[in-house]
Amino acid sequence: MRLPFRDIPDPRTGSVRPRPIVDVVVDGLDIAPQACLLDSGATAVRFGGHVADICGIDLQDAPQARLAVGGAVVTALMAEVTLEIDDGSQQLTWSASVWFCEPWTPSFGLLGLTGFFDQFTVTIAAYEEWLELTPLN
Amino acid sequence: MAEISTAREVKIAGHPFVLRSSDVVRAMRRVDPEPITSHYVVVGTRRFPPKQIISALTGVDRADFTTHHARRTLIRLGFSAGRRPARTTSIASGPSRRQPAMDSLPLADRLRPFAGSWVAIRDDDVLHSTESPQELVAWLNRHGQKADSMFRVPGDELSATGLAPL
Repeated sequence: MRLPFRDIPDPRTGSVRPRPIVDVVVDGLDIAPQACLLDSGATAVRFGGHVADICGIDLQDAPQARLAVGGAVVTALMAEVTLEIDDGSQQLTWSASVWFCEPWTPSFGLLGLTGFFDQFTVTIAAYEEWLELTPLN
Repeated sequence: MAEISTAREVKIAGHPFVLRSSDVVRAMRRVDPEPITSHYVVVGTRRFPPKQIISALTGVDRADFTTHHARRTLIRLGFSAGRRPARTTSIASGPSRRQPAMDSLPLADRLRPFAGSWVAIRDDDVLHSTESPQELVAWLNRHGQKADSMFRVPGDELSATGLAPL
């Protein structure tokens, strides 16, 4: 599956910054796919706690961790959820351990190594502003 | 700086009204925009069906006037109007300095006024914006709408970058 970068306004410069962002349906909430940034520097898939809230994901008794995110310490709760990317002609569905973090300052979910990059061969063509996901067998 | 308010005497369904642009802004501030099927008018940074605005403002049943009448009334008050999904002929702006002809801009530029807000995107267009993700999903549910994507438009550098959590 090949997807174009998403143009996002850059709040610092006022210009447009194309980013490797894909829309992910979390736990079947297909009326509101979550925009997620591909982030190979993240060790796992991370969302804000609000995503668990709107998807109705139960985080009671969930494994908990304290993480340093962007210079701040956040509390993260983990749940096993189904993730899906649909480009209109192909659907990629997989299960991942997702960490829901509070507080959460990023505008997007973060697709990290475990739960995303270990599911696909990921090609990022930044010059041509596209990315390609090939599921691993 | 004080904002200039335009006032117009209009007849809606035979009833005379004096409408002010500032009244429109005030009246729609706490109103939940209904889904746009075709025509819309921009108030603040949000899009409303023209008949929703006129009905909310005057109390006249929206079955008693046309979209065209509502739209033309609001354009005369200085609001920008547009139409979806015919993007090539979408904007018919009035003499407003309040809003640029937003549909003629790329999506990224149209997102700028929403910095810090949560937006639902569909067909390369802003479907709705709110202050919280819960409100946004509630709006989608309430109106039977489906977005292609939702996110918070970056309002600062920290929210715009990958944070590489360890």
